[in-house]
Parts: sequence; structure tokens; C-alpha cells
Amino acid sequence: MSMDLTVKQLRDGLDSREFSAREITQSYLDRIEKIDGQLESYITVTGEKALAAADKAQQRIDAGESAPLTGIPMAIKDNICTEGVLTTCASRMLENFVPPYNATVMDRLEAQDTVLLGKVSMDEFAMGGSTQTSAFKKTKNPFDLTRVPGGSSGGSAAAVSADLCGAALGSDTGGSIRQPASFCGVTGLKPTYGRVSRYGLVAFASSFDQIGPIARSAEDCGIILNAIAGYDYHDGTASKLPVEDYTAKLGMDMKGKKIAYVSEFFGEGVDDEVRNSVLAAIDSYKAMGAQVVECSMPSLKYAIAAYYLIASAEASSNLARYDGIKYGHRSEVEGSYNDLVIASRSEGFGDEVKRRILLGNYALSSGYYDAYYGKAMGLRQRIREEYAGIFEKCDLIITPTAPSVAYGINENIHDPRKMYQADFCTVTVNIASLPAISTTCGYNADGMPIGMSIVGNMWKEADIIGAADAFEKTFVRRSAAL
Amino acid sequence: MISDYIPVIGLEIHCELSTNSKVFCTCSAEFGGDRNTRCCPVCCGMPGTLPIINQTAVEYAVRAGYALNCGINKFSVFDRKNYFYPDLPKAYQISELNFPIVLAGEVPIEYEENGEKKKKSIRINHIHLEEDAGKLVHDDLNGVSLCDYNRCGVPLIEIVTEPDMRSPEEARKLVETIALQLQYAGVSDCKMEEGSIRADVNVSLMRKDATEFGTRAEIKNVNSLKSIYRTIEYEIKRQAQILDRGGEVVQETRRFDANKGETKAMRSKEDAHDYKYFPDPDILQVNFTDEDLERIKASLPEMPAQRRERYLSMGIPEKEAMVIVNDKVISDFFEDCMKVYNNPKSLVNFINGEIMRRINLGEIDKDAPKYTAAQVAHLVEMSETDKVSKNDAKTIFREMAEKGGDPEEIAKREGMIIVVDTTRVHEVIDAVFAANPGPVEQYKNGDKKVFGFIMGLCNKELRGSATPKVVKEELEKRLAAL
Amino acid sequence: MEMDMVKYLAKLAKLSFTDEELEKAVADMTDIIDLMDTIKDIDVVYDAYKDNHNVYLADLRKDEAMPSLPTEKLLANAVNQENCFVVPKVVE
Repeated sequence: MSMDLTVKQLRDGLDSREFSAREITQSYLDRIEKIDGQLESYITVTGEKALAAADKAQQRIDAGESAPLTGIPMAIKDNICTEGVLTTCASRMLENFVPPYNATVMDRLEAQDTVLLGKVSMDEFAMGGSTQTSAFKKTKNPFDLTRVPGGSSGGSAAAVSADLCGAALGSDTGGSIRQPASFCGVTGLKPTYGRVSRYGLVAFASSFDQIGPIARSAEDCGIILNAIAGYDYHDGTASKLPVEDYTAKLGMDMKGKKIAYVSEFFGEGVDDEVRNSVLAAIDSYKAMGAQVVECSMPSLKYAIAAYYLIASAEASSNLARYDGIKYGHRSEVEGSYNDLVIASRSEGFGDEVKRRILLGNYALSSGYYDAYYGKAMGLRQRIREEYAGIFEKCDLIITPTAPSVAYGINENIHDPRKMYQADFCTVTVNIASLPAISTTCGYNADGMPIGMSIVGNMWKEADIIGAADAFEKTFVRRSAAL
Repeated sequence: MISDYIPVIGLEIHCELSTNSKVFCTCSAEFGGDRNTRCCPVCCGMPGTLPIINQTAVEYAVRAGYALNCGINKFSVFDRKNYFYPDLPKAYQISELNFPIVLAGEVPIEYEENGEKKKKSIRINHIHLEEDAGKLVHDDLNGVSLCDYNRCGVPLIEIVTEPDMRSPEEARKLVETIALQLQYAGVSDCKMEEGSIRADVNVSLMRKDATEFGTRAEIKNVNSLKSIYRTIEYEIKRQAQILDRGGEVVQETRRFDANKGETKAMRSKEDAHDYKYFPDPDILQVNFTDEDLERIKASLPEMPAQRRERYLSMGIPEKEAMVIVNDKVISDFFEDCMKVYNNPKSLVNFINGEIMRRINLGEIDKDAPKYTAAQVAHLVEMSETDKVSKNDAKTIFREMAEKGGDPEEIAKREGMIIVVDTTRVHEVIDAVFAANPGPVEQYKNGDKKVFGFIMGLCNKELRGSATPKVVKEELEKRLAAL
Repeated sequence: MEMDMVKYLAKLAKLSFTDEELEKAVADMTDIIDLMDTIKDIDVVYDAYKDNHNVYLADLRKDEAMPSLPTEKLLANAVNQENCFVVPKVVE
């Protein structure tokens, strides 16, 4: 049986009794067993739980009461808390952490009897764009095992791309859903900040983090968003705005839609093949009747600094709780409370996490606060205003998702500066709390996928899903080599 | 010489708010409980958890502001105060720095110093809402400290004064006044013994001719009125000695040792620290409408000053009125008594006499007495209407205080009820006259002193059947008729 | 960035580095701060009032206490003693 099935196709197969929930779950488990040794996407596989959940889902299917995700096997990024299931954040610090609670998104997936196949790898505490800072599984790209899958949700994107799950959840702080989706040739959606509850998502940068789906299509992303979106009592930043049907605008009629072309996103530093491929995609929208409006975002050149300052400042505070006392790695060192905390943190965190903590402390420390954190917060407001100006004139913005295709393992990892700069296409969306979806728009000469991002105004998920779907219907997606 | 200097004193007063649940989670905020039984993933800072702010805590902070004559900020922002300590599981305390809920105001105090009555106003800089930390229990035997997080997240307001106080008595009186205002406002129990009100004390000395304040020492966590007084007294002495010797006071954090009556520099606070305050991205800013504020202001119950006026207008002497007003529990008890028996003077006499005497002896727990206000009111009424004698009333109350019970039932059981039976009075008088012809003859002959003797004999026989007043009247009539 | 600054930040963050790691951290941080310094070119001031999401008192959580987590679940991921988390003795 081919496992290259969308959520939609899985739903049809389950509901028409083409296969049972147990059969499809077992097939994924077998495939994980067979190829994940090479791909290294799963940190934890919950085989028995998955089969039990599949049987429970089957009862619901048999009763004719299936919800859109009933019996759909999914992989979850390992920074989303799962009650009774190891949640490591790909860090030594949380190597043995078993949460006594579920993230709200897990409750919502369980309410539909979704099947949890396991927890997938990521950059440590979601800090990185390669999944190579993972302390456990340094996931590879299914299109080329010598390349990175992107990150931080690299495990989620690779598992979807390599047919090791029906769909996955990731999290996006500065591009961590969209960039790996782009690198692995799948579709990833970062919802508007506040659309999906963050409760149970291990915090990296609280004002940017959002959970979202990585799947085979924009339609699948819409189906999953329908399940997880909405107000949550446990998250004070979750919006009370009513949810919509995010699949309502599939195959959107592009006639008269105004697409912003923001030149700064196509400048220096973007590979020619990437630029050309995204421009070609914009042309196909034109052919569908869309208008292209040239816009500008003068503050984009400051965005990387603003993003890293704010994200690291928040991270330095969010990660201060890991002291080895309540949970997580506790050093064997003998000595005072202070010695214990210092040793536990120094042993538990990897280099990239430590760099971000140092940067965050710097940005917030007295004497530097105004020049760094304060100014970055001012810039954040400026960037929001620039986006608001663009959305007064346009419906959507299309940009490359990343300046390049997936690069070779270890290529960027030793140069933090270069690694940070590579995020310039994605971070402003988080800075401005906007929704964005990345879908494959081409392949380079080596056959590596190229992604474009469609950015919408606040709460316009249905529109960007609709627009991405309109493109996907005209585009032939290739399967990964693995 | 101490007299060469003017002490300059400022306080940061922390009061726990008496809400049902904690300020950022739904655990009970009640005092005590078995260790770590009032905790959840949120207040213990587990990964992925988020604060959800308690409406009542915010409302109580506003109410406290009104009770202390302060202005209210219509836009309030929560910040993170970052530091590591084992009683602080998130490694940051949620507090407010730049946009506290309550703005500046003034609290008038009245006090006596050197036998002189004085009045003064102490300025409040602001009041902010924050969360309390946990408790540490030190186990010397095993060289460990045990962390109990039950108190983590209990709502606190911090009242920050200007350095307006010039003597320990002013500081003591301010804390007492604030505690009383907050108790009346119904926002805090302000129980020193449970740590629900405590203060950080800032003390510096300036020479009488100086124009600037001296260097201050901060004494943390002083938790009784007596200790606040003694701390300041000690600090003044200590700093004066340093200055007299030509030394300099070091700006530092100190701790008061109530057993030794001294302050000591704190070791744990010597660490390099920088709280790196920044706005908490997990909590959205809180706004108040004009209607909110008007409603909260109007909801303030009768405050001590108003109650005092009302008591004076009832004819209660000022001194007695103040004893009642200055203790909210007693004052409320008096109010409840008044609902049953509207006789303020008699009630005040009984409460300030018999009840206060036993409370001060430690025989009664005033927060949980075994008697009700209605029972005491009834007892006072019985005594006032000669249904029982004044002496018997005290005996009855003793039993009510020790074991509880209805005063009427106790009186009946003990045969203390007085039923006036005039026929019986006459019979007894006749019998006494018949048995004691000598004294009766003496009286007739003008020796009025024997009246008491005859009266005593009658009273002895008539116990429970007449009041002394009736006996006296009847006896006088009969003797006059002889 | 100077070595002393990195040491100070490490102290604030409760991290320790070997001498070799420190050298690397100084180099990395210098590079990163250089990238961050791009914002020095622009003059912007943060305005807290602009970040208002119009949350009012009435929108906040009602004050209802709900059951807490059982103590054994709370302590399941920790070294514990007598129903408490345990740290080396702290001296005040």
C-alpha cells in the first residue's frame, strides 16, 4: 500500500472501510521501524498506545460518528506536552521529563480520536533551523539524506515528507514550521498568534510561538487547524474570536485578488533558483486572475536583530525554570544550591541554547535594555505598522520561505550569524503575529524542494489556505526519494 | 549620638489578598494545607504552562487602592522579575513595574509619641499586584532545604510608600492603619501570624543639617508590628554608631532576627543581580472602564473612620468606640449583636469588658469563638432586663466561651432565671419578719442600718424568684407600713 | 564583546563554561552582537499603549478554586523528600 496519502485520502479510506485504523496505524509503525533508522525523525514512538487509540477510533468510525481526524495517525513535535509520554524538547535537560498534563492541542486531537504515533525531533528547545541542535535525533532530509530537513520542526516535516505519519504538528517561533515544510517539500501553516492555544507548548519565545500543522496539502492544514484552533481557558493570549471553517475557501478564485510583491524579500541573499521559482508561482497566480502590487518594507533589514533580541530575551526568562529541581536534568555535583543549578543547566543545555540565553540576558540587562530590548520592541511596532499598510492595499503577500533550499548537514551550524540571517524571510510574520502558509512551488536543479510563503492579514487563515490550495491544484508535487 | 540624626523610613508592605484561587491558576489560595497539596503545573512552573489572571485579585488591588486614597491606572501591565531562588519555581515573579494597577495616594495616620497626640499623612508611591513565593523548610540534619509551593501564586499587593516616616512609631502606626483599612475593604485578612502582611523596611539617617538622604539599608520580610518597630529602632542605633565613628553605611539587604533583636546582612542576596524586568508576554494588559472603577469604588464597605463616627453618634464613648473599631473582627461581631439586641452601650460594655478580657487571656479564639453574636446579644439582653443577675451572666458566658451553648438553656439548667413572683416575695418577707422579730423591732425604732441585714435574708430565700430591685421595693413598703 | 561581560552574563544566567568554551562564547557573542547592532541605525521608541489588546476586567478569569494536582504527580519528575522538592540547604 502506498503511504503517500493526504489526511483527506486517509479519511476516505477509513470511512469507506478500505483499511481499518489499526491497519493504517500498523503500516506507519512498520514504515517507521523500516526507515526511521536512516531518517531519525522520531524521538519516541508510542506503538502500543497508537494501536489502542486506533482501535478506539475504529469503534467511532464503525458507529458512523467519525470526526475529520478520527483514526488519522499523527506525529507531534517533542515540545508539545503529552500526558504520560516523554516530552524532551530534544534536550538533555528534559531527557526524562514525562508531563503530568496534556497540551490543549493534544486534548483537542484526542477529542477527535486522532492516533498519536509518537514524538518527533526538533532543534533543542526549538532554537535553530536545521534540527541538528537536537540532543537525540539529528533528522535528515527525506529528499537527500546528506542535507538538513530544516527546523526547528524538522522531525515533523521530515516525517510527513517520508510518509512516516499522516500529518504532524509543529511549532513556529520565527519560521520553524514554514522553513522545514519548505525544505522537505510539504505544506506548513503558522496560524495567527492567539489562534491556537499555547498551553502545553514548551515556551521558547512566548510572544511569537504558535502551534500549527505540517501536512501534505493546504487542505490538510485546514482540516487540522479546524480541530486545534479556538479559545482556551488555559491561555490568556488565546483569542476569543470565533473560529471559522478553514477549508471553506479551498480552490479560491484568485480573480481580482491583490498579491503584494515586497521587493526586499527577493533581494540579495536569496538564491536565484529560489527567487525565480517564487516569481514563477506569482505569475501563475496572475494567470489565475490575481493582480500584483509592488510594495515595500523598509524595516525588513532590522527584522533579524529585532526578532533575535526579543525571542532571546523571552527565552532567557522562559528557560530559567530549568534548574534541575522540579523536573529535568539534575547534576550529580556536590555543593550548594547555586552549584547544583549552575551544573544542571550547564550540563543540560546545548551550545545554541546557551548562546540564546546569554544574548537574552544581555538584551535585558540594565544598561543595555533600552538599546536592545526596548528598541527591538519599538521595531516590532514599526514592522507591524508596515504590514498593516500593505494589507490596506493587498489581500496576500507572497515571499520565498527560505533564501535557499535545504543545505548540507553541518554547513551553517558553526556560524550562528549566518544561521540567524537565513531566517529573514520568515521572522517578520511572527513579529507581526500574522498567519502564513508555506507550500512547495518548485524544485532546484538537484531536485530539492523550494517553498513559497503566502502571508495573510490577522485571522485570515481561510484565505491563505484557499490561495495555497488554488496553487497546489495546478502544481505537481514530487515524492521524497526515501 | 542618635539625636544628631533624623531617621528616614520607607516601607514596602506586602499583603496577601483573600481570594478563593491563586492569582495565575485555579489552586486554592487558602493559608496552610499539607505540603505541596495546593499546587498544579502552572504554579509550579512546569514547562508549557501559562498564567491566567484572576479577576478578583485585580479587583481587590483596585479596591485596596481606593481604601488607601490612591489613584487607579486604567491600563496595567504585568512584568517578569527574574531571579533564581528555590522558592520561586519559574525563576521569575510576575509583578508590575512601569504600569502598576494603583497610582500615588496618601494615608493619614494618628498616633501618640511621648504622650503627645500627633497626625500625619504618609504618601503612597504606588501599589502593584504580584504573586507570592513558596516556603522553604530547612532540614539541618540532612543539610537540605525542602520546597513547599502551596504559597506560590497566592496574590499579593505590594504597597510602596515614600520615605515619609521619621520614627519607628510612625512606621508601626502606618502598617497598623493600612492593615485595618484593607481588612475593612474586605481584600485581606492581614494576619501577621500567617504572614499575610509583612514589610520590607528601608532605613537611612541624615544629619539634622543635611539636605540629602543618607545611604539606606533594606531589611527584608519583617513580619510583625513589634518587629517592624524593633527593626527600625535597631537600625537607627546601628547606623548612628557607624556614622558617629566616621564610617559609611553600606547599601545592602539585611534580615531581622527577632530572637536577638538585631539585623544582619543577608548572604543569599550578595549574588550579582539584575532583575531584568520586562513585560510578561503571557499576560495581556488589563484595562478598566470608568464603570468598572465606579462600581468598585461604590462597593467599598463602611470604613473605620465612618464606623467610628456612627458609633460616636450612638452615644458610645470615644475610647470604647475606638477599641471596637480598631479590631475588625470585634467590630463586625458588635454589628451582628446589634441586629439582635439594639442596645449599643450595654453590648459595648460586655464586649470590651468580659469578652475582650477572655480574648486577651487567650481563653477565646476570636476568629472562631464557640458562641454566636446572637447568643451573646441575647445574654446581654437577659442581663439588662434582670432575667439573670449580672454575676450569673458572667458565669453563663464562661460556659458559652468554653463549651458553647444557648444562654437561656444554661441559665435554666443552672436555675439562674429570675421569675418575679410577688406573692412569694410577700410570703418570704412575712416569714423573715416572723423569724427575726428583734431586727424588725430595731428598724421600727429608727435603726435603719438593719435594713441590709433583713434584705440579705430575704434575697437568700428569694434567689431566682425576684430581682434584688423588687425585693428592696417590697421590703421598704412593708417596713414603712409597720 | 568582552570576556568579562560574557562571564557576567553567564553568572546572571547560572551557566558555567570551561576556558575553551568561554573563548568560543566570546567570539560567537561578538559576532552575534555585531548582527544585533544593525538596529542602532534606526530611531524607534517602544510605546506600551500601542500594545493594548483591549482586555478588560470583565474578561479575566472568575475567581473559582479547582482541585490541585495530586502531590505524587507533582513530584514525579523530581528528587523529593517528605512531599517536597529538595535542594541543598540554602542560607539566608
